[in-house]
Amino acid sequence: MARPVTHALPCTGGIGLRAPHYRQVLDRLPRLGWVEVHSENFFGGGAPLSTLLRVREHYPVSLHGVGMGLASTTPLDKAHLSALHRLCDAVKPAAISEHLSWNSAAGMVINDLLPFPYTQEALSHVATRIEQVQEELGRQLLVENLSSYLSFAHSEMTEGAFLAELTQRTGCGILFDVENLYVNACNLGVDAKAFIKAIPAEAVKEYHLAGYSVRDGCLVDTHDHPVCPEVWEMYEFALQHIGPRPTLIEWDSDIPPLPVLMGEAAKAQQRLEICYACAE
Amino acid sequence: MPALSNDQADFARAIVLGLDLSPQAHAVCPKYRVATAMAVYHNNYRGNLHDTLASAYPVTEQLVGKDFFRVLTKQFIEQYPSRSGNLHHYGAEMADFIADFEPAQSLVYLSDVAALEWACHRAYFAEDEATLDVSGLSKVPAENYADLVIHTHPACHMVRSIYPIAAIWNAHQPGANSDFHIDLDSGSSNALVSRKENTVMVTELTEAGATWLQSIRSGAPLGEATSGVLERYPDFNLNTALLNLLEQGVLADFTLENMP
Repeated sequence: MARPVTHALPCTGGIGLRAPHYRQVLDRLPRLGWVEVHSENFFGGGAPLSTLLRVREHYPVSLHGVGMGLASTTPLDKAHLSALHRLCDAVKPAAISEHLSWNSAAGMVINDLLPFPYTQEALSHVATRIEQVQEELGRQLLVENLSSYLSFAHSEMTEGAFLAELTQRTGCGILFDVENLYVNACNLGVDAKAFIKAIPAEAVKEYHLAGYSVRDGCLVDTHDHPVCPEVWEMYEFALQHIGPRPTLIEWDSDIPPLPVLMGEAAKAQQRLEICYACAE
Repeated sequence: MPALSNDQADFARAIVLGLDLSPQAHAVCPKYRVATAMAVYHNNYRGNLHDTLASAYPVTEQLVGKDFFRVLTKQFIEQYPSRSGNLHHYGAEMADFIADFEPAQSLVYLSDVAALEWACHRAYFAEDEATLDVSGLSKVPAENYADLVIHTHPACHMVRSIYPIAAIWNAHQPGANSDFHIDLDSGSSNALVSRKENTVMVTELTEAGATWLQSIRSGAPLGEATSGVLERYPDFNLNTALLNLLEQGVLADFTLENMP
């Protein structure tokens, strides 16, 4: 299997870069394959942008948005989109991603990643919004599958089929968050293997791995733990069926020392290498 | 988009108010109650907004203590839903909220400190812009000085208070002397927020300096702003004021009034 060259992120393990590690990363320049940051934290100028531009001199950067609300039915926030566009122009990221979720209704914004029923109505709506974003940015958007705490009885298709159809209609890519799928499998009984087989392998451009917490029997996507053995196993299954892709360790709360993150990224790296070795 | 739109509006209200979803939402949770899922969303909503406020208002939190700050943010969050997908926009109304927040009335300066913190927060994320090019300024003929309109940097803000808020703010920064004692009688404060080498700073302006800067920020040309200040403060020294503001990166570009 040849290493994919169509995507600018290196097909290695990377880490989510968060504020507690900015200084250490810039001072020591540790060996990181690539880094991903939350786009909104770098809207505007000053210290955040300047830090990211320095990081960009040393590592490929992926911009991961948490606030676009691709599935919201309120109008797309043009100011938000322009801010993202300016950030892209400044950083020239290797990838840009958003979530398959909504965040705004009834005059309010819920700063979270909210689920919706996978209907034909939602499909055309989200496809239109993705096209708007891709047109503004002039490039492909990666769309991440959602971790959800409930599902809807009137969904007309699975999330996997929904994502597959979105890639067909818009040319968007998929950011496959393996931990989100695991959360959905445990919480909602989603068939993880069927999901992995349903999404088009060539559209998957990136993996996410993270840890979760449990509240009252519900797995919550808190990104505050190491990747659990079951998620590693699901990742290995995905590597076999989809193939190796750039893989990110996400850790957003109770952020551990940098070596812990690098250790997790190395575990992903090891699995990527095995995947290459077995395929070649 | 009626169905999706109505569903989302109901869902959003349930999250914000901490209510159950109506049966019409057709929500399904095979392993736990739907109310458990809604509690997770409600707690995420509140927790994210609380953390956002704590990160925008660290001095306010230090002044009132973590427990009181939690009470304050709980009520703030109930009163002000988020309006932006960018969480860094959340919390703009805090100073006004505190001014009306009965349990905080004894901390008379708290509202003004919060206003200063919001100015600092905005300054931190403000767009980059070049600071004033002095060599360009020197090419302006002397007879046109009075017509100069000087623009301030996007990271520049001024917060005026009858309390010493700049001193309070600086005393609560990481590494500041913890023996600080707030002397509320130490006078008013013209707190200037600026950003130098990407670090947000709070310094004090004199009454004359603050009046001049306020006039400049409202678009008055140099001559008008300066003569206005000199009428009230004959000791005002324009050169000193300009040098001070240049040093702090407060001044951006300039234009000449009545010229393209």
